[in-house]
Amino acid sequence: MSAAVALQTVPKIEVKHLTVNYAEKNRMFTALRDVNFTVEEGEFVSVIGASGCGKSTLLSVLEGLYKQADGEITISGKPLDGTGKERGVVFQHYSLFPWMTTRKNIAFGIAQVRKDLTKKQRLELADTFLEKVGLGEFGNKYPSQLSGGMQQRAAIARALAMDTEILLMDEPFSAIDAKNRIVLQELLLKLWEGDGKEPRKSVVFVTHDIDEAILLSDKIVVLTAHPGTVAEIIPVPFARPRDRKTLVQTPEYAEFRSHLLHLFYNDIAERIGGEEVVL
Amino acid sequence: MATATITASSAPAAPKVKAPAIPLAQRFLRVTHLLFLVLLGVQFIPDHASVTEAHTSWLIGFAVIVEAFTLAITPLFKKKEGLNLFLDIIGFIYGFLILWTIFTAKTALLPAALFPPFGKILAQTAEDAPKILINIKSSVGIILQGFILALLAAVPLGLILGWNARLGGAATYLSKFFSSIPPIVYIPYGIALLPTFRSVSVFVIFLASFWPVFAGTMSGVLHVDSKILDSAKVLNVSKPTMLLNVILPASLNQIFLGCNQGLSVSFILLTSAEMIGARDGMGYYVKYYSDFGDYTRTIVGLLVIGIVVIGVTFLVNRLQNYLLRWKK
Ligand SMILES: Nc1ncnc2c1ncn2[C@@H]1O[C@H](COP(=O)(O)OP(=O)(O)O)[C@@H](O)[C@H]1O
Ligand SMILES: [Mg+2]
Repeated sequence: MSAAVALQTVPKIEVKHLTVNYAEKNRMFTALRDVNFTVEEGEFVSVIGASGCGKSTLLSVLEGLYKQADGEITISGKPLDGTGKERGVVFQHYSLFPWMTTRKNIAFGIAQVRKDLTKKQRLELADTFLEKVGLGEFGNKYPSQLSGGMQQRAAIARALAMDTEILLMDEPFSAIDAKNRIVLQELLLKLWEGDGKEPRKSVVFVTHDIDEAILLSDKIVVLTAHPGTVAEIIPVPFARPRDRKTLVQTPEYAEFRSHLLHLFYNDIAERIGGEEVVL
Repeated sequence: MATATITASSAPAAPKVKAPAIPLAQRFLRVTHLLFLVLLGVQFIPDHASVTEAHTSWLIGFAVIVEAFTLAITPLFKKKEGLNLFLDIIGFIYGFLILWTIFTAKTALLPAALFPPFGKILAQTAEDAPKILINIKSSVGIILQGFILALLAAVPLGLILGWNARLGGAATYLSKFFSSIPPIVYIPYGIALLPTFRSVSVFVIFLASFWPVFAGTMSGVLHVDSKILDSAKVLNVSKPTMLLNVILPASLNQIFLGCNQGLSVSFILLTSAEMIGARDGMGYYVKYYSDFGDYTRTIVGLLVIGIVVIGVTFLVNRLQNYLLRWKK
């Protein structure tokens, strides 16, 4: 295989035989076993699974924060080595620094990747991204002065402003009330789909919300627990740009959703007295 | 990426709750002002022999100034709690002055040599003002110098050692050992080591402040939320940025705890040292005049020290509140 061909077909993220063992008191606990999947350039991939099945573990490996994993992970063909400037991250909580105002938080993120910009330019760029997520008036507020939903908007704005090729999100909307969660999902969908002029980012999005996964993703990786393994990788067959209201009314959506639900329930049924599961 | 804009209509900011205005009667019709009038009234009781008219005028003048200040500042309060606190403090001062006046100037129930009338204390303060200012300048100057040097050494060292897990463990034990030594025992060594009273004082205050600030910084660094650290790591911040822009602000609360501790120890130490071996400073002032049995000046010294310490503490608190304004 020549180098040129290899380059063309190299996935953005490739996870091969990923196994994570946590050392507990005097035994090993296998959180993930032989996980395999890929994320293509510009692909939105959701990872769903019940709580405790290893989703956060998987993401912390991809973030480069957890380094004792076995297996092979490549980013654009290169072996993953620690954190990297090509990956932006949104956590469920505390993505923002509480001592910086929202616009300073975003400008700080920009400063880590764009040394060429002046302080003023970075703040201006921060403001345009605050506008995009609907926080134009809240730039001078501290995170503690914002609602949880607004904090997540700001965290998304920072990740987007840093303009990384890859976005890693670990249940970014799980702590948001149902109504605002829908608004945030639609915001993320709109921002990610864009206007078609710029390339889309490659995304790994962790969730335990099936509707959220279907609405956003090109592909869903279903994990089952104990140990965390991939049960199935399912392409989402719905065309983009997507609109929630029209999408959820189609019979195809109902059918697809029930298929996913089945996968979930089978997994849960196998686990007697299973943990709390949110679907 | 996208150009879409979505408004935050679904997540509006909580409307600002405005504190209800305090009614005029609640602002001005207060027991505190009644106490002021009582304080003036008490002055009409005939004085005991040793008190002069001048002393009474000083007290009345002082009370009028305090009352004028109180009335002037009352309209500026926005919250009821703040106003209540302020008026209560002033009320306590009036109450104290009333009792003091009755027990000294009016009845001499307290021995006059040890408990001068308050007016006399005020007159003495005014007379000694230039001397007192020089002494304050000397004391505060020494404290600031020793303390700031300690801060400049302890904070960077604490940040670096605290961040380095292995050295941090060892340093925690060492700092526990050194901070457990009462700093006053450094004084003889300091005297042997350094030429002047001032340099010895700065040295001792440096040591006294260094360990609490160092320990506070280290404990701050060790307790930074791991989620905050992860958040910084995934941004790929450089080491200096990590220390200065992430770990330092995240540890600030604990650093201030150390600072407050260091400062209060410093004041205790310095005034003690001044009472032993200085020719300047507030401790010296108190000790010098009490040796002569001049208890009016002794009390002046005590009050001035209290005011200076409160003033410094207040400024540090303001700075702390400002730098930690992002906390809830
Ligand atoms: N640092 C750790 N040490 C030991 N066990 C861990 C650690 N982190 C997570 N686990 C365990 O690994 C499993 C997967 O956790 P996690 O990845 O957080 O799951 P999820 O995000 O899907 O809820 C859980 O059983 C959890 O208790
Ligand atoms: Mg998780």
